[in-house]
Amino acid sequence: MSLATRFQGTAVFTATEVRVQFHEWLAILTGTLVQSVLVVFVWVLDQPGLPFALIGAMVYSVFLIGQRLLNEAAYIRIDHKLNELYHASPLTPEAYFLGMAVGMLIAYSPPIILFVVLIEIIHPLSALAWLVLIAALASVWTSSSVLGYYVASLFKDMKTIWPYSSLLTNLFGIVPPVFYPLSALGPLPPIVGALALITPTSAASNLVASVEGLGGSALSAGQMELAAFALFAEAALTLLFGLYWARRSARED
Amino acid sequence: MTDEALRAVDVRKTYRTRGGPSVDALRGVSVSLRKGERVALLGRNGAGKTTFLRIASTLLLPTAGTIEVFGRDVVRSPEQVRPLIAVVPQEGKPFFHLTPREQIYTYLRARGVEREDAKARVEDVLDRMDLMEVADRLNITLSGGQKQRAMVATVMSTEAPLLFLDEPTIGMDPFARRAVWEALRRLTNKGCTILLTTHYLDEAEVLSERLFIVEQGLILHDGTAAELKKAMGGTLRVSVSGGASLREQLETFGPVVSDGGTCSVITEPPRVNEILALAMNGGLSATVGPVTLEEAFLKVVGRSIDED
Repeated sequence: MSLATRFQGTAVFTATEVRVQFHEWLAILTGTLVQSVLVVFVWVLDQPGLPFALIGAMVYSVFLIGQRLLNEAAYIRIDHKLNELYHASPLTPEAYFLGMAVGMLIAYSPPIILFVVLIEIIHPLSALAWLVLIAALASVWTSSSVLGYYVASLFKDMKTIWPYSSLLTNLFGIVPPVFYPLSALGPLPPIVGALALITPTSAASNLVASVEGLGGSALSAGQMELAAFALFAEAALTLLFGLYWARRSARED
Repeated sequence: MTDEALRAVDVRKTYRTRGGPSVDALRGVSVSLRKGERVALLGRNGAGKTTFLRIASTLLLPTAGTIEVFGRDVVRSPEQVRPLIAVVPQEGKPFFHLTPREQIYTYLRARGVEREDAKARVEDVLDRMDLMEVADRLNITLSGGQKQRAMVATVMSTEAPLLFLDEPTIGMDPFARRAVWEALRRLTNKGCTILLTTHYLDEAEVLSERLFIVEQGLILHDGTAAELKKAMGGTLRVSVSGGASLREQLETFGPVVSDGGTCSVITEPPRVNEILALAMNGGLSATVGPVTLEEAFLKVVGRSIDED
């Protein structure tokens, strides 16, 4: 099967997902809540840290898309069995997965746009920082979407999946330094910092903040290299795995 | 394209559960469907119908055996099989946040159907499936039967050469079921082949040109409903409520099938009065009617289709 054929139908399934999600506008609206609350906390407690928190809010919003995909893929598969309708059709499993992932990205882009507007008002980023931000967000979206799709395929009922979705959101979005700089972890053992640098979410926000030169958040050159390598390598590897898994999970053993 | 729409040879499926016993869902199923046929897989819950359908539709791997769809192997070449098939999954539901019109249209587009063609097919199938009135309402607001009709309509609109329908009319009222049957007949008249599973005996009899009775992973009958009933050994059925105590005497009139406490004798008209007299003498009530698929199923399987 040629590469072009393999991804044929992605755009159409993307449009399907966008349509479905836009009928659920409340879920899109509530997709801004956690990060908004955290941004407000930072604004109240540490105003100079606000630009970093806004970058973190964007990263968190993008990571959350993968978790929305987790819930959507699981819901479609377990509750509606629509995956069978699509898998037993000319639409390839890869196009199904990518269509769903891109659809969720489009549908849940309003929270990202909100924080883009806010950061442009509060602390306009340099062109280089924007480029790094876009690349970092794309990497986080890729890793998070694959993670979500994979976890969604492992379980047979929705109730089992909910705690995992919550766990992943906290593990990648709240626990690591996403809304505040890595330097704030000062007293903790160095291994914690290293782990934060290879975690896609915290790597992304710290990398962008360092490129922008936000006060008190600059990584060393070595740390930046590690964060960038981890972020992009993880995205590339997870994308390959995601495409493999989409095909593999389209048919049960 | 070959004249054989589907050919299954010695298909076996064993489900292995962690820590539990393995389950043989299919134990050597061999069937063949001709192009344009409507065939029903009839069986009790857990007989293996859905497992067979899922393997044939590339959604599940068999443990052994082969299935070809229009000459293409479903295990080795699923990409070649998938454009030729469409599936209504068991207990499948449409996207709740799409309307039936959107659901069918987006599905056709995902299958590669051109815009104008997709639009025309949507209107046609909505009309045939009596969904026009609710075509622009979100699926979540529809009744269970309407949701099921939306699912069946989605798959029928594809006009794929081979359609798999897993319990397609479950939850539908009698009128809706008839509308589905009529629409499926029209599809086979156009050359589509249909394999459906059902545990509705009337559906299997009225709709299918041929039926396979499945029990514990085996095909126990392959033929028409008429052939099955003919093989019963009589044209009439006399059912005696609480007739278990008279079973031996009843067996002198013809084959007897039991369902709970009711014994049904399959016989010919001249012997009916004798059986009724025997029942009345025993203080039991009896009814007379033509042999149905229900008795035939009982005879072949040994259990009622509703028995778990």
